[in-house]
Amino acid sequence: MFNILKELIYSSGAVSLSGGNLVMWLVSFVLLYLAIKKQYEPLLLLPIAFGILVVNLPLTFLMEPEHGLIWFFYHYGIEMDIIPPLIFLGLGAMIDFGPLIANPKTLLLGAGAQAGLYVTFFAAILFGFDLQEAGSIAIIGGADGPTTIYLTSKLAPHLLGATAVSAYAYMALVPIIQPPMMKLLTTEHERKIVMSKLRPVSRLQKVCFPIVTAMTIMLVVPPAAPLISMLMLGNLFKESGVVERLTNASANELMNVVTIFLGLSIGATMTATTFLNPKVLFIFFLGLFAFIVSTGAGLLMAKFMNLFLKDKINPLIGAAGVSAVPMAARCVHKVGSEANRRNYLLMHAMGPNVAGVIGTVVAAAILLKNLG
Amino acid sequence: METDWSKVIEVFSSGIIGVFLVMILLQLLTQLSTRIIDFVENWNKSETTEPAPKK
Repeated sequence: MFNILKELIYSSGAVSLSGGNLVMWLVSFVLLYLAIKKQYEPLLLLPIAFGILVVNLPLTFLMEPEHGLIWFFYHYGIEMDIIPPLIFLGLGAMIDFGPLIANPKTLLLGAGAQAGLYVTFFAAILFGFDLQEAGSIAIIGGADGPTTIYLTSKLAPHLLGATAVSAYAYMALVPIIQPPMMKLLTTEHERKIVMSKLRPVSRLQKVCFPIVTAMTIMLVVPPAAPLISMLMLGNLFKESGVVERLTNASANELMNVVTIFLGLSIGATMTATTFLNPKVLFIFFLGLFAFIVSTGAGLLMAKFMNLFLKDKINPLIGAAGVSAVPMAARCVHKVGSEANRRNYLLMHAMGPNVAGVIGTVVAAAILLKNLG
Repeated sequence: METDWSKVIEVFSSGIIGVFLVMILLQLLTQLSTRIIDFVENWNKSETTEPAPKK
């Protein structure tokens, strides 16, 4: 009887627990709290947090190569680049490119915000990261979770957990991080600028946009193909209006299913041995730096464009050039309406916001081309 | 490990220039395609509009 009990205790995971496991449980509980209580990106943070928890329970072997359940999700979903493009398919089916087509110069704001990403690349090198790691950290500034995961899985898979959590955490914190930067880099007078109403966009224009964009980007930057093709296919589903079932499936069922596998797999990469090292702290710091600099770069780009434009744009919309859709656009609208109650910037900010999604994919593809 | 600064500069500059070039190209093509579509749609409208009856 005593021997059976002894054997049971020794074969349990409890005896193999390490201090690192306990710290990771704590990280998991903090993320669970943020997801459930504060509702910060709960769709992603909840499965990520649970993934961290279960992978840090010893002897479960959930991430054991060729055997563990979550390893299969990770291997086939992320290592083989299936999940991020599928997320983009769903995203495309939800995005309205109308404000961008109505005001195509906002594409430049989506490009301007990416400048912050390259500044962070430089900073990460100075912090001692290698080229591939620096590229993976810099892309956090694009505030685009799937692109961050896609690029990191190619360049520096060992940083996947930290960069993914960092990207999603900062996306959730847009309303806290962006407004101080917006107010710092714009004057009261600039924030009060009222923009003229966007021109209407026809259905044919909306149908042509994903086709033209997919062809252009894939011809110029082929490494962007997996993400941009799926994004534009999803959008073509939506705008064509003839495949409602596929649009709904992409935007709802498929998106929800892959989100579960994505979150769980990312969380499961965060074992104590990979996550608990000083580099991860630097990644969180540099990720925040990237996000702040990208916001600033977008704002400065808008101010620069105003030097040449007859019909001035409100520079706040430059901050939406990071691709946290639609949180960044909402944030711009809020700050703009605080300065001028008549200001309705939401639709104007959606242009650079969706341009930011395209810009981040292009930036990631160029990094991949140079560093992969 | 020694940092290859020439590679860093290359990634930095080609990245910024590349993103801007692609987005400018996309902007021009979007403007061009919307103008063509506007023109075709307006032309179709004027074709289908019945002439006003003479009094």
